Amino acid sequence: MSLFHDWVRYETRRQFFRHGANAVGFAALATLLSRDGLERACGAETSATPGAPQPKGTPPQASSAGSPRRSLAHFPGKARHVIYLHMVGGPSQIDLFDYKPKMAEWFDKDLPDSIRRGQRLTTMTSGQARFPIAPSKYKFAQHGQCGMWMSELLPWLSKAVDDICFVRSVHTDAINHEPAITYIQTGNQIAGRPCLGAWVSYGLGSLNDNLPTFVVLIARSTNTEQVQAISARLWSAGFLPGEHAGVALRSSGDPILYLGNPPGVPTSVRRITLDGLQKLNEMTYQALGDPETHTRIQQYELAFRMQASVPELVDISGEPSSTYALYGDEARKPGSFAHTVLLARRMVERGVRFIQVYHNNWDTHSNVAGRLPDQCRDVDRPCYALIQDLKRRGLLDQTLILWGGEFGRTIYSQGTLTRENYGRDHHPRCYTMWLAGGGIRPGTIYGETDDFCYNIVKDPVPIRDLHATILHLLGFDHQRFTFRYQGLDQRLTGVEPASVVKGILA
Amino acid sequence: MRRSWPCVVVLGLVAEVGTLLAAEPIEYNRHIRPILAQNCFACHGPDSASRQADLRLDIREMALKAGVIVPGKPDQSEIVRRIFSTDPDEMMPPPNSHKKLSAEQKELLKRWVAAGAEYQPHWAFIPPKRPPLPEVKNSAWCRNPIDRFILARLEQEGLAPNPEADRRTLARRVWLDLVGLPPAPAEVDAVAADPSPDAYEKLVDRLLASPHWGEHRARYWLDAARYADTHGLHFDNFREIWTYRDWVIQAFNQNMPFDRFTLEQLAGDLLPDPTFEQLVATGFHRCQVTTNEGGTIAEENLVFYTRDRTETTAQVWLGLTANCAVCHDHKYDPITQKDFYQLAAFFNNTTIGPMDGNIARTPPIITLPPPELRVRWKALPAELAAVRKEIEARKSAARAEFDKWLAATPRPPLSVQPPAEALYLQVPLDGPAGDATSAILEGKAHTVPVKSRVSWQPGYVGPKSLRLEEKPQLELAACDFEKDQPWSAGAWVKLPSESASGALFARMDDQNGFRGWDLWVENGRVGTHIIHRWQEDALKVVTAEPVPKDRWNHVLVTYDGSGKAAGVKVYVNGQAQPTRPQADSLKSTIRTQVPWAIGRRSTTAILVGLAIQDIRIYRRVLSGDEVRQLVDATRGAYLAAKTAAERTAAEKDELYGLWLAWSDQPSRALAARLAALEKEKADIEARSPIAYVMQERPEPAKAYVLFRGEYDKRREEVSPNTFACLPPMPPEFPKNRLGLAQWLVRPENPLVARVTVNRFWQEIFGTGLVRTAGDFGAAGEAPSHPELLDWLALEFRESGWDVKRLVRLMVTSAAYRQSAATSPQKLEKDPQNRLLSRGPRFRMDAEMLRDMALACSGLLVPKIGGPSVKPYQPPGVWEAVAMIGSNTREYQQDHGEALYRRSLYTFWKRAAPPASMEIFNAPTRENCTVRRERTNTPLQALATLNDPQWIEAARHLAQRARRQCGAEAAARLEFMAKAVLARPLRPEEHQVLVASLHRLAEFYQAHLDEAQKLLSVGESKPDPAIPAPELAAWTMLANELMNTDEALNK
Repeated sequence: MSLFHDWVRYETRRQFFRHGANAVGFAALATLLSRDGLERACGAETSATPGAPQPKGTPPQASSAGSPRRSLAHFPGKARHVIYLHMVGGPSQIDLFDYKPKMAEWFDKDLPDSIRRGQRLTTMTSGQARFPIAPSKYKFAQHGQCGMWMSELLPWLSKAVDDICFVRSVHTDAINHEPAITYIQTGNQIAGRPCLGAWVSYGLGSLNDNLPTFVVLIARSTNTEQVQAISARLWSAGFLPGEHAGVALRSSGDPILYLGNPPGVPTSVRRITLDGLQKLNEMTYQALGDPETHTRIQQYELAFRMQASVPELVDISGEPSSTYALYGDEARKPGSFAHTVLLARRMVERGVRFIQVYHNNWDTHSNVAGRLPDQCRDVDRPCYALIQDLKRRGLLDQTLILWGGEFGRTIYSQGTLTRENYGRDHHPRCYTMWLAGGGIRPGTIYGETDDFCYNIVKDPVPIRDLHATILHLLGFDHQRFTFRYQGLDQRLTGVEPASVVKGILA
Repeated sequence: MRRSWPCVVVLGLVAEVGTLLAAEPIEYNRHIRPILAQNCFACHGPDSASRQADLRLDIREMALKAGVIVPGKPDQSEIVRRIFSTDPDEMMPPPNSHKKLSAEQKELLKRWVAAGAEYQPHWAFIPPKRPPLPEVKNSAWCRNPIDRFILARLEQEGLAPNPEADRRTLARRVWLDLVGLPPAPAEVDAVAADPSPDAYEKLVDRLLASPHWGEHRARYWLDAARYADTHGLHFDNFREIWTYRDWVIQAFNQNMPFDRFTLEQLAGDLLPDPTFEQLVATGFHRCQVTTNEGGTIAEENLVFYTRDRTETTAQVWLGLTANCAVCHDHKYDPITQKDFYQLAAFFNNTTIGPMDGNIARTPPIITLPPPELRVRWKALPAELAAVRKEIEARKSAARAEFDKWLAATPRPPLSVQPPAEALYLQVPLDGPAGDATSAILEGKAHTVPVKSRVSWQPGYVGPKSLRLEEKPQLELAACDFEKDQPWSAGAWVKLPSESASGALFARMDDQNGFRGWDLWVENGRVGTHIIHRWQEDALKVVTAEPVPKDRWNHVLVTYDGSGKAAGVKVYVNGQAQPTRPQADSLKSTIRTQVPWAIGRRSTTAILVGLAIQDIRIYRRVLSGDEVRQLVDATRGAYLAAKTAAERTAAEKDELYGLWLAWSDQPSRALAARLAALEKEKADIEARSPIAYVMQERPEPAKAYVLFRGEYDKRREEVSPNTFACLPPMPPEFPKNRLGLAQWLVRPENPLVARVTVNRFWQEIFGTGLVRTAGDFGAAGEAPSHPELLDWLALEFRESGWDVKRLVRLMVTSAAYRQSAATSPQKLEKDPQNRLLSRGPRFRMDAEMLRDMALACSGLLVPKIGGPSVKPYQPPGVWEAVAMIGSNTREYQQDHGEALYRRSLYTFWKRAAPPASMEIFNAPTRENCTVRRERTNTPLQALATLNDPQWIEAARHLAQRARRQCGAEAAARLEFMAKAVLARPLRPEEHQVLVASLHRLAEFYQAHLDEAQKLLSVGESKPDPAIPAPELAAWTMLANELMNTDEALNK
């Protein structure tokens, strides 16, 4: 059409790669478009600290300046994908993973002050006259080569202990749900920072052409006695560019908001309007030369492709019967935990980088006996199946699975204590999480708590160390993986010293 | 001095070292501070806690004293030696800091030391001075002083400004910027045709006078105020705070000077004799996130709230990131941790509680009566107090009369009797009669056999009361009511435990779908079931709160025979209670064969341990007055009948209260007056919205420095004070929020005017002169046009903080009026348009986009203010994140005009902001946000292509075009283009659209069913006069047009 036009074609492309700030749109596009190949192609440009000043005249905080025009990893990571299974409410480590046989003789005796050491409690139990010990009512047995003691509530997972690394010494600073879940998701108790998934999206970018980089799935729990709040702030991008926020995939209606065409608009009609739109936008671009216009054209085309790729992703009708033999028939029910982790596996296959799954109702202040079996039934077999499934597909090595809540539960009973039932309050001083795949040493039992499962006696793992370790597995030095915001080089692990937990690495 | 400011844009912390000519003088603020701030200050800066080697480089005297800088002598300066060192033990920054100086940066530092190592205070802390207008070559281009600054800079860069945009483009731009809506086609035609030279200026003035101006400006302010319609955490329940939003709209519409705007929002409650509006204004700091999570620690919550108010204030007015100083001294800015908590002390003295209570009206709140009732409303408290005082006086005076009455023989009875009309069944349960107890059924004496173990204990309204000791067997063939028969049933009861659940009495067959009815208690809450078959054909109502524990309570339920939950009322001790209907589906008969039984249903719901007395059942609905009579008469008669020796002092006082209430005429008259006033108050409250307000505690404000910001690690106690780095607060100012607000808007304050004009600039031009609108500190970005920023700040302040005048100045500048077209040269030299080498053009914010779609389709309902509304939203958005029991868990979409209100009225749930807005970078409103991001993603494309709101709007645009222009396609297309783009189509565009239209029409003519499906999107009905295939094709064509890049950009 014009010389100018040709120049812009060339220049736009050039600028995309050179001036991050012009690429506001390109950045978003990059989350969807940039594959490892593209990342590598651009990688030659170098290696500044992410978020640090760009070579020329580009503001470090531009909404897109830090977007992944390339992988920002510092070294090749073992893990390429993450599946983070968050058990909202805080599962009871005492009844599941951290076997405390000595407690049997302590039934209904008071927690010794020498153990409690005046540590703060929530106001739900701080008023209790006594803190009577509630030993777990569940039977434990040793499994696998590693000899992990597992609760009878997790028969399936017990079969996979040699693929798993159990960290029994995770501890957190927060004692209530909102700050605690915000802390483990974002590295800070106060909302507003990017979550782990957003950091990974920012640092590594996408592995596929037509699916989001960071997907959030909320599984329904069968039992809903004590469901906690989960909000979009948990998967927000915080101060990172907005495109790194998690895309919540919904289990009913459109899997992505507004994904489906309106009634009466088949794909062919949508194509007609997009064809026209593309031509009109091209004219605008020629008239005004705004690179954003070009980006918009691309985004509309990507949206069109997603209209096909996302339904394909969530359509499990093509899964063979062997899938259900592994995951169980629950996996056929949209929204179930089994169905959700099956989708997670399909996403890993299709190149989704980070899959965050939430499963709710683990907040057992009372009625552990009435609830915990339901909770375990929801997740036990699907977790086992996910590990096996990824393994047989050769994907486990490059996929890090993470399982756990925002804190643990107390050894003492909240409310009425009987042999058959009891409640447990929040306990931040120690709890168990498990990891598998993606560079984790399998069959590992790490960390130790005292006989009361109250304090850690060996190898404590604060949340920031856990974060540092996850980043390490993905190829980042957590100290150098930063983003400049409000004048600070912000990092996931915060300002206090953090270190990689070497003992759990393969 | 012609220029006190560097003219090279210093972006972020990156000094433009590459372009610094050897001859150019080095300036600390421009060249050196960014290097030091980024690389050195973290360890050698303001924060004493992290300072290494006791060395401070941010203050010249300290650096010189430490000997690391010897002015003029780089060779003797340790700083130079260290930065050039390659020894890992010596080099600076040290290797483990992961910071590295470039060769140019090192050279620059060396030259700076050689030149004398002069420092400058940070630019933002130097008060603005009015600069002279720069000289420019092309002065003819300039329309007002803004342009002189813009053009001087462009000329320096060798760039020429763009010519003025055409009238229509400009009209659309200014319409969108001033009122947030696109012009109607006729309006834009009129503006284009106006031949007067000041046609544009006249348009600007018209728009500034529009009531939509206030809506649009409020929208930006509400981000800063973190306004939302829910509390934010945990349950995230509804918060009724929309009157604050309306106050903001009105304030902008009245062009309230910004200093007053500041004063009223931060301290309206502390102004002398504040008006209702001034109190509503203080909602600013009530917009913050609050919690009601069980288990949270009160002090921790309060600390969190105070911190948020402090950070928000610093961010909005001072443009400083004070939050850094929560845990330690600020790393870059001269704000100590103590500074932070001194500022926090201003906000630490409110009556706001640690828990929001999960209620819509969390105190402190005020009622906002309609204007005509405000005088009365203000008078009521005094009148109420006066009557209460009289009542107390009468109470003191009448005691002797009471004693006389009590001593009299014979003594006249209390002037209150239980209602007698339609009394159906009375079971006194005041003692045994053999192995039975007496009853009066329809006026005739009966007995109720006592077939289970009971005990007779001291009574409450009779000498004895019955206590059930095992599964009760007390039955009577009675109470076989039908569902259309009204009744009232009650008794005096003492529940066996707080959590007691079961039937007080019932005629209910629990083996047959629970048919029948009962008087029910569950977890101490009382009510009734009226059942044909539980739960599909049944009615259940219980009180919201449990009855008082550990005492006798009178409970009574009335049922009006309507078969509806609304026909049930529950009274406890004579007071009507708030109730919760739990089932409301009764349709069929409730009659059953089982007898009426005390303390259980036919076989279950047993209440062992229940003590019960004086059961009365009426065949009618008792009024509230009658219920009170029943309660007081039964208790009063019993107390009066006791001998003086039997009666305790407390019982005597209680009897005195009953005597005053029923037998003492003066007291009764006063009580009636009180009731009338209380009713008047309640009536006004019922028809008035409320406002969340700030309220100060009487004691002097204080706070504590908190170690690492932790609520339980209190250190030094501090009093309210402002940051030490800014001009001090005059001693005569009150040390409260009012004093703080007055201090903020003093002419001496170097920040407030700059920060404020910068935000308005950002609204209009897309990016602030200081891009980091929330950070004017050392780590923020330096202004692109520092002199212009100062000029505007002073112009704004000296004009009396006149917002409309300021914005008018911006939008009438030649800089604003430029065409948005870019060129290779401009993209190269001014890629982000920071130099304003072209007119502002950027994708509109979420609210503007939706409003644009509604406005150009004609669907927009322009009503201003009122409660928030819930337009279309895909199902499940709230449910996915909300807690069970949250009252914002299920999104109940509104209907009718609420679907088409401007987006700033859309209900904002913090845990799940409006879906269609969040996709376009709307914040969650959890924190103060002064700058939104602007991304460009495929999810946005999906929203504007497929959102029912947009499809419905497209159909209405198509319908309008058809109605206005007839059948002719060209005219219709022209109309639609003017509505969406404010301009006629160019021929090549026309061609594209016509091609689309043909293909669309072809499809829908062949697929009538699809056409009809498409037209059914949205609640409004399609125009039946237009054939469905035609309207469907035009709808999709409008959808195409509304999705163009031009439509989505301003």
